[in-house]
Amino acid sequence: MRRRDAIAAEIPRLRRYARALTGDESEAEDLVQDCLERAISRIAQWRDDESPRKWLLAILHNLHVDGVRRRARRPLHVDLDKAEHVAAAPGSDSGSGRDLEAALRSLPGEQLQVVLLVGLEGLSYAEAADVAGVPVGTVMSRLSRGRDRLRQLLGDGGDRQGGRTSPLRRIK
Amino acid sequence: MTTPEARTAFELNALIDGELTPDAAGEVEAWLASDQAARGLAGELRDLNRKLQDTFPLRTDEPLSPQLAALLERVPEPRTSTMVSRRTALAASLALLLLSGLAGLYVGSRFQPEQRRALALVAQAVGAHSVYVPEVRHPVEVAAAEERHLVAWLSKRLGEQIRAPDLVPLGFKLVGGRLLPDGPRPAALFMYETSRGQRLTLYVRRETSLANTAFQFSDTKGLQTFYWIDRPLAYAIVSNVGRAELTRVARSVYDQLEKR
Repeated sequence: MRRRDAIAAEIPRLRRYARALTGDESEAEDLVQDCLERAISRIAQWRDDESPRKWLLAILHNLHVDGVRRRARRPLHVDLDKAEHVAAAPGSDSGSGRDLEAALRSLPGEQLQVVLLVGLEGLSYAEAADVAGVPVGTVMSRLSRGRDRLRQLLGDGGDRQGGRTSPLRRIK
Repeated sequence: MTTPEARTAFELNALIDGELTPDAAGEVEAWLASDQAARGLAGELRDLNRKLQDTFPLRTDEPLSPQLAALLERVPEPRTSTMVSRRTALAASLALLLLSGLAGLYVGSRFQPEQRRALALVAQAVGAHSVYVPEVRHPVEVAAAEERHLVAWLSKRLGEQIRAPDLVPLGFKLVGGRLLPDGPRPAALFMYETSRGQRLTLYVRRETSLANTAFQFSDTKGLQTFYWIDRPLAYAIVSNVGRAELTRVARSVYDQLEKR
């Protein structure tokens, strides 16, 4: 398979991952473009006999983190339309997706990364550790903390009993 | 330090992510059966993953933007000599072997240490084949009926996820497998047989120091071997079914393992 085709085959995944990271279609598309741009400039890093998936996911994530840092130094800009969308209708049907998106936005980037790599992309812990450049144990604790926080946020926003989403230490 | 609370959280997460060995998963499942709160949590964690996948579906039919298409055009391909993918390289090496009739390994003093280690792989695989294939009552340690357990166990011992390829379309049914010593390290052996009792074995071990290779063929004392290294694993298929038949098997095994 040509490199071009191997990379093209990963684009739907990159787009999905970028959407989940950014919560915004056009931002996601920009991120995927930046990702390909950087991948091309660093093509030598990719070992031809491996799927480029993990390599591309790592590039995309790093670009996202850099972008978030850059924006954090700029004055805060809030798109009011979007902000209302996110806040609206926690109980409604489409609300669960929006709740989830809002909750994802509030996760620290490193937790969001592993929650998405494992829960959405279906990577094993070892693969996620590879992408994130951390030991497997770190993946496990980030995953556990990230999911815990998501459960709490989704529980609070929805109509669940507070007790159902209390932290894990209730067990045992 | 890992607290007990963290440990339970890790276990629940690992369970729903399919990261536990069958034994460990059994233990956690047993705990869930007796603990309603934990069961509820496991359910919530599963819901969370489902929600993620529902909210962000994979859209495979989405067209490329002109910008993305243009970027893809700029992906540099390696120069022709190296552009051959490994798959093509393997197919080519296989064809070359078949055409040239160049059976057997080079013998003599020309061996580099790397080649010697590759030969050791063949020797181990052929040895295991010769010892276990004639067995009538105990050809394998774990029978095919427990394939999932067998594969999980061997994967755990090797420290790499391995698979028992499905060779039924080629007339070979899995008999089972066993753990083998490879010096001080573990190796895995899968055994297959035809309805007429002809057997073949697939030998797998970790290999992180040798370079990846294309298919190599060896014929020793009436046993044919195809072996290749696809790091972090090395594979050798041994049988006396004849080269043409074994070629078909090797190709199928390679295709299946590559898709892992």
